[in-house]
Amino acid sequence: MDNYAIEMLGITKKFPGIIANDNVTLQVKKGEIHALLGENGAGKSTLMSILFGFYQPDGGEIRKDGRKIKINNPNEANALGIGMVHQHFKLVECFTVLDNIILGAETTKGGFLQKKEAKKKVLELSEKYGLYVDPDAVIENITVGMQQRTEILKMLYRDNEVLIFDEPTAVLTPQEIKELMAVMKNLAAEGKSILFITHKLAEIMEVADRCSVLRKGKYIGTVDVKDTTPEELSAMMVGRNVSLVVEKKPSEPGDVVLDVKNMSVASQRGKKDAVKNVSLQVRRGEIVCIAGIDGNGQTEFIYGLSGLEPVKSGMIMMNGKDITRMPIRKRLTSGMSHIPEDRHKHGLVLDFSLEDNIVLQRYFEPQFTNKFGFLKRNSIREYANRLIKQYDVRSGQGPITKARDMSGGNQQKAIIAREIDKNPELLIAVQPTRGLDVGAVEYIHKQLVAQRDAGKGVLLVSFELDEVMNLADRILVMYEGEIVGEFSPGQVSVEELGLYMAGSKRMEVGAHE
Amino acid sequence: MLLLIQYTLIFASVLVLVALGGCFSEHSGVINIGLEGIMVIGALGGALMMKFLGGGAPAAVVILLVVLSSVLSGILCSLLLGVAAIHFKADQTLLGTALNLLGAAVAVVLVRAINLSEDIDNVSSTIKYGEAKSAFIIRIGDFEFNWFMLIAFVVLILSYIVLYKTKFGMRLYACGEHPQAADSVGINVYKMRYAGVMISGALGGLGGLVYITAGVSEWKFENGVAGFGFLALAVMIFGQWKPLNIGLAALLFGFFRALSNVYTGFDFLLSLKLPSVIYNMLPYIISLIVLVFVSKKSRAPKAEGIPYDKGQR
Amino acid sequence: MNKERTKKASILRNDGFQTTISSILCILIGFLIGYIVLLIINPKGAGDAILAIMKNFLYYSSAVSAKKYLGTTLVKASALLMCALSVLFANKVGLFNIGVAGQYVVGAGASLYFAVGLGMPWYVSLLAAIVFAAALGGISGFLKSYFNVNEVISCIMLNWISLYCVNMLLSTVKESSTPYTKPLSSANKDGLLPNLGLDKIFSNNKFVTIGVVLSVIAAIFVSILLDKTKFGYELKATGMNKHAAKYCGMKEKRNIIITMMISGALAGMGAGIFYLSGIEQWMIGQTSIPAMGFNGIAAAFLGGLNPIGAIFASYFIQHITSGGTYVDKTMYCTQISDLMIAFIIYLCGFVFFFKLFLNKYLDKRDEKMAAKAREGGEA
Repeated sequence: MDNYAIEMLGITKKFPGIIANDNVTLQVKKGEIHALLGENGAGKSTLMSILFGFYQPDGGEIRKDGRKIKINNPNEANALGIGMVHQHFKLVECFTVLDNIILGAETTKGGFLQKKEAKKKVLELSEKYGLYVDPDAVIENITVGMQQRTEILKMLYRDNEVLIFDEPTAVLTPQEIKELMAVMKNLAAEGKSILFITHKLAEIMEVADRCSVLRKGKYIGTVDVKDTTPEELSAMMVGRNVSLVVEKKPSEPGDVVLDVKNMSVASQRGKKDAVKNVSLQVRRGEIVCIAGIDGNGQTEFIYGLSGLEPVKSGMIMMNGKDITRMPIRKRLTSGMSHIPEDRHKHGLVLDFSLEDNIVLQRYFEPQFTNKFGFLKRNSIREYANRLIKQYDVRSGQGPITKARDMSGGNQQKAIIAREIDKNPELLIAVQPTRGLDVGAVEYIHKQLVAQRDAGKGVLLVSFELDEVMNLADRILVMYEGEIVGEFSPGQVSVEELGLYMAGSKRMEVGAHE
Repeated sequence: MLLLIQYTLIFASVLVLVALGGCFSEHSGVINIGLEGIMVIGALGGALMMKFLGGGAPAAVVILLVVLSSVLSGILCSLLLGVAAIHFKADQTLLGTALNLLGAAVAVVLVRAINLSEDIDNVSSTIKYGEAKSAFIIRIGDFEFNWFMLIAFVVLILSYIVLYKTKFGMRLYACGEHPQAADSVGINVYKMRYAGVMISGALGGLGGLVYITAGVSEWKFENGVAGFGFLALAVMIFGQWKPLNIGLAALLFGFFRALSNVYTGFDFLLSLKLPSVIYNMLPYIISLIVLVFVSKKSRAPKAEGIPYDKGQR
Repeated sequence: MNKERTKKASILRNDGFQTTISSILCILIGFLIGYIVLLIINPKGAGDAILAIMKNFLYYSSAVSAKKYLGTTLVKASALLMCALSVLFANKVGLFNIGVAGQYVVGAGASLYFAVGLGMPWYVSLLAAIVFAAALGGISGFLKSYFNVNEVISCIMLNWISLYCVNMLLSTVKESSTPYTKPLSSANKDGLLPNLGLDKIFSNNKFVTIGVVLSVIAAIFVSILLDKTKFGYELKATGMNKHAAKYCGMKEKRNIIITMMISGALAGMGAGIFYLSGIEQWMIGQTSIPAMGFNGIAAAFLGGLNPIGAIFASYFIQHITSGGTYVDKTMYCTQISDLMIAFIIYLCGFVFFFKLFLNKYLDKRDEKMAAKAREGGEA
């Protein structure tokens, strides 16, 4: 019999309306790296939340080292030696690295914190596993990679034996990912069992020993990674063979629709500028893609373009008009559409109905508001119904559904319908497919290409290299607020792009005149 | 001059206690704008105990029992906020407002009922406690030293130590900044928030007691505590939720408040011929101006005011 | 039969219905607590006292007196309604206008000073109340949008500042023998709001003026403004998600200031229609802020933050406040109503949880029924 560190047998978990886990089995051997693969919404997070004691399963059992156990809360998971690096880090931003590591597992003498010994132990651990980080640094001042190391040290400090990594590579540069993989292998070699949750096949192929696959809450199977191929894994994950390659004709760029000259945007946090002296152009009929790791100034760049943040210096021209100091409303009514990065923060008023969200950019137009300032409810309903049908936005009660009650994919479709139907000349889309399932991703990619073919300029910001390679007619790489490379998709490999994204290579990208 | 120092110190003591109470509550993640009501209830608890003890008991016993009574009354009152805000996820501003009204109403109803039961013609809402109150005061020449000045100072130092040097403080802080993080390392966020709210109740109640014993020997409960709970909130914000800064802010605000009591003793202030109302307004005007300057870069606990829901991660 | 069930469920799920139910529950518990307190104080008269509070003007057996005192309750309720509207209007933009009390005070100061001090006719005085209170609200809004000053804190400070300022201002129109301002009826008859015959309906209660009607019109106006207009759409969007409001080009800073100004104007108008009816004079030197504003918070929440709901809630709260004056004063004090109102506000905090609980229960019931239906179908 195999020596399993953790077994989750026949786990079932229901939420009102959905079965998040349906008889799922997961067995992790001691000292192995076990990947858990599945699309968004496949039930990976629910399963891990059960293992970590956040939820109680409705059926099935959990075993550790062959013994049946019950995990009521994270504390008990901890006591059993189970630790987790969450996708969204659980770090107190104004605390130091050391404080975050010891929080919840403090040593005290007479009620007072004893940080000296703790610091010694942390330094030893970081030495042993190659997790270098300054214990006295404050979290809000260190890089995402260092924050992740802090999370890993948190688990090691508690002598955890089973380590769960929830989508750990999403926020890292390719080089940081390499380092993380090395650390994971190192940990497994020291006898720790690792559960690695991801939807990236390449990473599984590189680092994992075995891989279990979930699809729509159901357990599909477990395979040995050395005996499988990415294609096989992909088929298991989505249940059919999908080509993520988007069909598109070569682009035929026309006039310049957006011309940014030497733009800088101040940072909200530090003293350094978040966007430094960026110049770029977008022409009609092309998709220009800004590639880069999350947090390298893309967000601030788009804020500057759309007017959400003031521009510190430089100039923005749209259709030959200077819009640098133009109010947001004016920009949006003179040909700019913006699919925002965070659909819950900016894109939607979640407690508004779907129809009210659909007219969010046009409610003030004469077709929706009469001259006395009253809303024309009938016209709004009609318009919403048309868009819902045309863009296939699904919801429980049609136009009067609260946006909050819709699925992520349909929320995003509603935003895209709203922004595209405005018939913009420049379409800005930031991470438009984040967190969506394969079907929705395909749909959105097709819409973006259709916009390009209709002669619009499309500016796409994406952190996903696959998306960049598939959609872009021109690729710009942004690193620490600067454009450090410009490529055609055929001309560059993913590996090469990775080097630029990580800042280890750069070319002089001249300002456009 | 001595009188000004004396009043400054006693008002600062009130403010420091109550503001520290607010500080503990907010660091745990619960906004407590009901401090005014908690102060009234604390004052009531203390006043009733003093009335009950009279002048006969030894000073140490009086101090101990009266303080205990205030503190317990304050905690009881704060639990109303705690239960609703922590377990039932109620709007904390609404609760605070309710608590302020409730504190005033309960005090008046209770005191009047007691007065009526003692004397059918006594419809006032005043409690006299002159004799017991003297236990708190030691005369040093012309200066009336009040034990509460010392207590406030000790509480200030203790608060600093608790918040920054102990396990409890670190965990409390984490609950107000990032309760999900605290929960993920096994800290019971609900429990810590209860602790924060109850400490604010204890200190708020004590502050109320100090306020009504500051100068007078009887208190008319219809007057409440004249906005001191709100002033304490301003002190807390000015002190940026840090105990030592709160201490300094309390001294500043206490000084301006004291000025309105004793400005007649200063010739140059009298010669300004300002209406006395101006001095009454001064603390509020100053806190408003101060808020304008500190609020832009204000660092309130990140998760304050947001009910913690275990299901939402 | 099955059809009937789903219909019943849909009523139970209706948000307005749930709000009404929870408000009634709050009231009942409030009364219960009031009764318990009365019992503790003196068990002998508790029943009579709680009845007196509930009956209010019905305390009088003659219809003439009862009508007269109903009129008085209505006058006070109309001022309260304006305060409630002020609170709920600000709430739609996500602001907690605890400054309604101060804005009410400023409205009182302005209207009385213009009417008594400057001898202005009622419409000018009422306008002055609206304008000055709007300005005060605007200050909080301005501080919020441009200096990030929490509106609750700034409003609290402004409440006290307003109180002292108004005391100072109105001391210029003080009666020499009492601590009150000169009565309007003798100082400036034109300053009184016109009755338009309304006084006749309420047994010649001369305090019943067009103010009562104005307040109801204001409630309807606020309701339409919020639900039917572009401006209301913007305000609600700003209140629910200010980031999204900014993203789609709404001027959220401007909206916050305008909202607070309108909110202040409503409170100021409330004070205007109250003091210009001549029903009360301002007591100079009062050291606590009039409860009207704070009770407005209670009425707004008890009315489910809905303008029409606020009409009923305001009347109810005023009804029991006035009712408190009829308790047997040899045993109890009138503040027992304040205590009950404070508790009702407190209980309003639980409404959100109550609805959540109810909906969860309904979900579970529906799921069970669906499961049963499925089983039935299979069998």
